[in-house]
Amino acid sequence: MDYREAGGADQLDVNLREAAAPARLRAIDFLLRTRVALGLQPVTAPAVLFVPMGFVLGPQVLGLLPRTVLAHLDPAVTVALAAIGIFIGMGLETGDRQNRRLLAAASVQALLTILTVSAATLWLMSQWGLRLDLAAGVVAAVLGVAASVSSASAPDRLGEAHRLITRIADFDDFLSVMAGAVAVAAIGATGWGHGLIRFGEVVAVGLLAGVAGWLLFERAHSVAERGVFVIGTLALVGGAAVYVNGSPLLAGMVAGICWKRLPGRADRIVRNDVSRFQHPLVILLLMVAGAMVELTPLAIWLLAPFVVFRLAGKVIGAWAAAWLVPPLRAGDLAAYLLAPGLLGIGLALNFVQVSSTEVAAAVASAVALGTLASELLALMAAPGAARER
Amino acid sequence: MRRISGLAVVLVLALVVQRATPEIGHAGGSVALAIGFALIAAVLVGGLVERVSLPRVTGYLLLGLICGPFGLNLITASMARELGLFNGLAVALIAFIAGLEINIERLRPQLRRISVLGLATLGVMYAVLLPLIWLAWPWLPIAPEASGVERAAFALVVTVIVISFSPTVTIAVIAENRARGPLTELTLAVVILTDLVLILAFTLAMQAAAWASGSGSGSGHDVGMGIQVVWEVLGSFAFGAALGALFALYLRVLARELTLVLLGLCVVLTGLGAYLDFEPLLAALAAGLVVENIAPPSGDALKRAVERGALPVLVIFFAAAGASLQLDALGDLGVVALAIACVRTAAMWLGSAAGRAWIGDHSLEARWLWMGLVPQAGVSIGLAVIVASQYPGWGTRLQTLIVSLIAIHQVIGPVLFRAALARAGEIGKMEFEPTAGSEGSGRSGRSGKVEEVEVESA
Repeated sequence: MDYREAGGADQLDVNLREAAAPARLRAIDFLLRTRVALGLQPVTAPAVLFVPMGFVLGPQVLGLLPRTVLAHLDPAVTVALAAIGIFIGMGLETGDRQNRRLLAAASVQALLTILTVSAATLWLMSQWGLRLDLAAGVVAAVLGVAASVSSASAPDRLGEAHRLITRIADFDDFLSVMAGAVAVAAIGATGWGHGLIRFGEVVAVGLLAGVAGWLLFERAHSVAERGVFVIGTLALVGGAAVYVNGSPLLAGMVAGICWKRLPGRADRIVRNDVSRFQHPLVILLLMVAGAMVELTPLAIWLLAPFVVFRLAGKVIGAWAAAWLVPPLRAGDLAAYLLAPGLLGIGLALNFVQVSSTEVAAAVASAVALGTLASELLALMAAPGAARER
Repeated sequence: MRRISGLAVVLVLALVVQRATPEIGHAGGSVALAIGFALIAAVLVGGLVERVSLPRVTGYLLLGLICGPFGLNLITASMARELGLFNGLAVALIAFIAGLEINIERLRPQLRRISVLGLATLGVMYAVLLPLIWLAWPWLPIAPEASGVERAAFALVVTVIVISFSPTVTIAVIAENRARGPLTELTLAVVILTDLVLILAFTLAMQAAAWASGSGSGSGHDVGMGIQVVWEVLGSFAFGAALGALFALYLRVLARELTLVLLGLCVVLTGLGAYLDFEPLLAALAAGLVVENIAPPSGDALKRAVERGALPVLVIFFAAAGASLQLDALGDLGVVALAIACVRTAAMWLGSAAGRAWIGDHSLEARWLWMGLVPQAGVSIGLAVIVASQYPGWGTRLQTLIVSLIAIHQVIGPVLFRAALARAGEIGKMEFEPTAGSEGSGRSGRSGKVEEVEVESA
């Protein structure tokens, strides 16, 4: 669970659990925990709590997070996306045969979901009488990619089967990040060649940042300096990727793979140092996503199809993945893969960063709200699967 | 070698990205890119200049200068402006750290000596520098058109900033040299207490400048100005003290995620303070004073949080200051800055000699005190930044002058202070291994490698 997209347990929760608050504050102990607030964790994902909170604080309701503040928070969102990418990259352990098989199953599942959602969205657009051009293709692709991710964020009490499902949910991020980066590279590209160069630039950014981090992390003169190198590398990898209008998730993933594969302790150092501020970053990301939600007609029109097509895509994908991993039942897999986690929201926010249009904002809003709906669906579906076992 | 290779890779990355996107890239991306690049490269350059016995701060400024708009343009003008968002946070953090260094209980036995030496030095410096700056005003490239009361008020502001000292560099030099002894204690106490007086004087001088130029909220009304000053000074102290008390309570009761909470405190001190018309420097200083003197934390948790939180903020602050340096203007200001630096140092020596004569102090530490007062850094830049934000015209020109002045003092200040510590025989007398200073000067190990256990245990 350490390399999950949110990077493992919230340090604040962990600390409070290890050493409970003093007796005089014990009564309000639960309020002090970020994810246990309202008693929702671990029943539900952080998105269910923080996206609505962001929406309420955002310009649409209270206005405590106005658009100017959201613009200032953009660098933090970039760093958060890079951090998620790094965790995904470091979680790609494909050393043994079983992991390779799980990666294949996860990629097939993600690919089928992307194809299902994208194709269905394009069909729907044609039914609405919209022109099916490159922009429509990018919108459909972004919705498909955002739908393809899973977190399987259920309580870990189903033993081996749930362990396999969790690994599949981890591994499907790989293809989703790659496909998301391709979609982002296509935005504004003048042709296939230009898009490919952009994609290559992002990979190069990830590689160079990965090598820089590998050279530096173990040569820091103090813990504080090492922390600066880690934060600096995160900002560098995310910022450079977004600067070239690319995906910080992909750049972060490439850097994460570098640190995992290269000799030394770079991966453990990053994991240790990023864990100090990664949960605040994730919360910030979700609250920004919530604050950016605009209930425009297009967003509302996209919401229901996104949820329904994602459900269909996950069922089809799970059926194919279960065929590749025989111990798993397609029904169980589909039920657990319904929980989308936060990567889909991250992909949509990256889309907004690169394409600051009303359509991009509507897509991001639909994805954020669709993520909430899918999490609630997962809440209903997962316990059912557990009971069946 | 690996660190230099790392620096080379980071430079190549920044160059490749900028060449790949010749037009200005995405705004959020450019800020994050500038932060990442400045953090890594400045720390590495800081380490390099440390090898030639210069303080790391000089390296951060140098990196900003070389990679800024007037150098390689890796940190473009717009990036440097966006990095300026950290200024408020950094200023509050520096003042908070300065407040944490003032332990009234510990200083009480020497209070008279410290006060006399400090105030005499300040008094003589004012007496020498203020008339000189006022007389030379038409030739100073700040606001030569100002005249009369306005000229006097502006000269007052400039004098306060020119005089200001640097608690952060003083602490950094002490930590780097593992110094302990009478000179170390006396210098630290005088620097911090005089900076406290200077911050108060700056607040008053800014009010005078606002009144004289007609841009303050109480412009043209003496009573309004008086109320404004009282509100700003007392309100800032009360606001900072209240937040400091809350922070101290948090330290006592929870003490979790201290680095984040500390940075959050500085953001609140800056943001909410500015909204309420409070002086962030005074408020942060008061917060630090309350934490240190009323509810001192037990253990090293706060010290570690300060180390972790301060280093990245200060690195960006100094690198951005270096990048904002207008080199073309510096060419004109270099001679002026050198002249002011000479007069400042001479006045400092005179002032401390006057103080010694007043109380009949013939100790070695009192004689060499002036050598520890020469460095200038964070507080001076912070004050100049405040003036530049309030008066974008002459304030920006003043900032350039101050940065060039700081560059001179950064070169000679730490060298002089280290020489004084060596003469006093206080170098290497610190019994325990110092933790990294607030500007990242210390080392946790001499091997050049952080102990492996630190990663494993966390």
